[in-house]
Amino acid sequence: MNAFFASLARDRVFYLFVAPFAALTILFGVWPILLSIQVSFTASATALRPNPSYVGLANYAAVLADPLFLASLWRTLLYTVLSVVANLAFAFGFAVLLDSALLRRGALFFRLAIFLPVITPDVAGYVVWRWLYDRSFGAINAALKMLGLPAFGGLSSADTAMLSLLIAELWHHAGFYMIIFLANLAIRDRALEEAAQIDGATAWQRWRYVILPQLRPALVINTVYALIQFLKTFTVVVVMTKGGPNDQTNFVSYYAYQLFDQARYGEATAMATILFAIVIGLSLTAYRIGDREPGQ
Amino acid sequence: MGTVRNLLVAAVAVAASLLPAKAQQLTVWHDLGDNGVKWFEALSAEFARTKPGVTVRSQSFPTDQWFGRVISALNTDTAPDLVFNNYERVIRVQTQTNKIMDLTALTAAIADKSFLSEDDLRVATFKGRQIIIPIQRVQMAFGVRKSWLDKNGGKFPETWDEVKTLAAAFRDKDPDGNGQADTFGLALQAAKPRDLIHMLDLFTFGSGLRHTLIDPEGKITIDQPAHAQVLEEFLKTYSTYKFVAPDTINHSFNEMYQVIEGGRGGMFRVGDWNVRKWDGANVLNGDFVSGPWPKFAADRQNAVVIGGMRGVAVPENSPNKALAQEFAAFMLTKAAQQASLENVGAGVRKDLDVSKLSPRSQYFAKAEHRLAAYDFPESIHPFYPELEAAFHRKLLAGISNPPADWKAFIAETAREMRELAAKLKG
Repeated sequence: MNAFFASLARDRVFYLFVAPFAALTILFGVWPILLSIQVSFTASATALRPNPSYVGLANYAAVLADPLFLASLWRTLLYTVLSVVANLAFAFGFAVLLDSALLRRGALFFRLAIFLPVITPDVAGYVVWRWLYDRSFGAINAALKMLGLPAFGGLSSADTAMLSLLIAELWHHAGFYMIIFLANLAIRDRALEEAAQIDGATAWQRWRYVILPQLRPALVINTVYALIQFLKTFTVVVVMTKGGPNDQTNFVSYYAYQLFDQARYGEATAMATILFAIVIGLSLTAYRIGDREPGQ
Repeated sequence: MGTVRNLLVAAVAVAASLLPAKAQQLTVWHDLGDNGVKWFEALSAEFARTKPGVTVRSQSFPTDQWFGRVISALNTDTAPDLVFNNYERVIRVQTQTNKIMDLTALTAAIADKSFLSEDDLRVATFKGRQIIIPIQRVQMAFGVRKSWLDKNGGKFPETWDEVKTLAAAFRDKDPDGNGQADTFGLALQAAKPRDLIHMLDLFTFGSGLRHTLIDPEGKITIDQPAHAQVLEEFLKTYSTYKFVAPDTINHSFNEMYQVIEGGRGGMFRVGDWNVRKWDGANVLNGDFVSGPWPKFAADRQNAVVIGGMRGVAVPENSPNKALAQEFAAFMLTKAAQQASLENVGAGVRKDLDVSKLSPRSQYFAKAEHRLAAYDFPESIHPFYPELEAAFHRKLLAGISNPPADWKAFIAETAREMRELAAKLKG
């Protein structure tokens, strides 16, 4: 105990500076999460009253017995995996291209072009995508028709709706991941590549054993961030499909929102808590795997 | 001494009467948008004539948000003084909060109410409590773009076959003359449960049937021959017939209005509240004509649908409960109803001056056509919203992947709905 107080006294300036931010984090970060979890244990009709009725795990049992929720959860996980892979692969490929001598002349233009969607308001961007996909006046089908190709189902077909959202989100987010990869590429130790080249390593070997290991920080950050982002996919659904057609884009966040809309707060927050646990679990796992030393 | 005291009391009384009355504000939450806000401003001015110092401030929310806000506020004792919305929405609030006041006694005390029918009061009552004072009957007619109709014979479609013929012409014959295939026979919606079933309700009740999905005894009706006929044609409208925009499966109210107001839909729902906006120069410029919903069989009578009753409710925890009740009763007076008609296009009184309204608004205000009311299954079957959501999902599955045999699809849907209804009842 004395050691604790001694440490407190010794590092008092540090704690003094940290205290306001810690208080804000608790107030606006941790406290709402705890309140939301608390609501998930209450009866919806009483959830917002000063003395709510607690129902134990009943909301969780109801949610986990709901086939729509389970289908929605499965769909969310599938969409997340596809989106993370697509976004990181695209961002990585583009970052490598921009870092290479091939695009040296137009690098600034391409960087701006790929990053611009990131700073575009997401709702505005998705509204435009909805118009692009529109079966009756959208540019995508107009172009396909001009080329004599079959029409793309876009958002109105259960088979293509998820893919359509994935493309729109790729457009919006990939630039962010690309910047992180690009920054990591810029600070890598090029002397190691020269050394490997002198030692006779092929271009592939230099990539595989020298450059890629140095990009591990960007890969870990991007993977964790993308996992969090796509597990919580919401705005694009609200703007473009409202969960349809035929529930094919009804991801967990949107499903929970629909229940909020019906004032089923207990079940909605139970869903949100389950999603929160999955986000935390997957993110930590991804971080731990990425942070492991090679050979561990 | 007594005289001095009496003089003092009199002086204080005179001074008090000269001072302005204590300012008091009533708050109303609704979802009627700008027209609603203007209406409540007019009501506030009129109410202040008898209640000096009292102002009424209204706040309009999008319908989705209105639910959440009202339910949260009533449950946390931060309620507004009054809430205004459709009857079935107030039912949902009452179900979630149990804090909507019973207005039976208040209504009984109103002398001038002979224009309210028994049906009106029945619709306003939920589980023995009168939860709203009926203020506006919600009428929904079948609308056709007049200029397009004129190019195709000019006869308002009475039967479903006539609607189909017109819909095909509107889709294929470039009725707007822009040289592009960008028009549709009908503008409908489907994205959310209420969107699709609401559209089905209109075709069902408008064609003279009494129940869309379930009757008051709890029997599923969709596979009864007359109902199945309407349902099959309705589903084909979205799929086989290709009468609607291909993206309609993702369309909710906003997108449906974009198709109508953007000049791409030929036939559509016209709510009495839509007319004022659609008469506007930058919207439809009055280029539409309203009538009853189409007949599906010659021996049935079609009608304009009373899709609900908008009314005012008083929360039990209203901050100014007594004054809120006074205002609720005031909303039935002739002046308040006239303001309702002029701003929102609807009322419940029959002695209002309609001469200033456009012919399209007069169609609703005079209500000389046959009217058919919703059956409000949610007021009888508490499980109805869940049943309706499952019905919607099943219909959407059919629309997104049309079956070879719609009759078999309807029979299967009826069986599933019976099973679910039995489970939900249990």
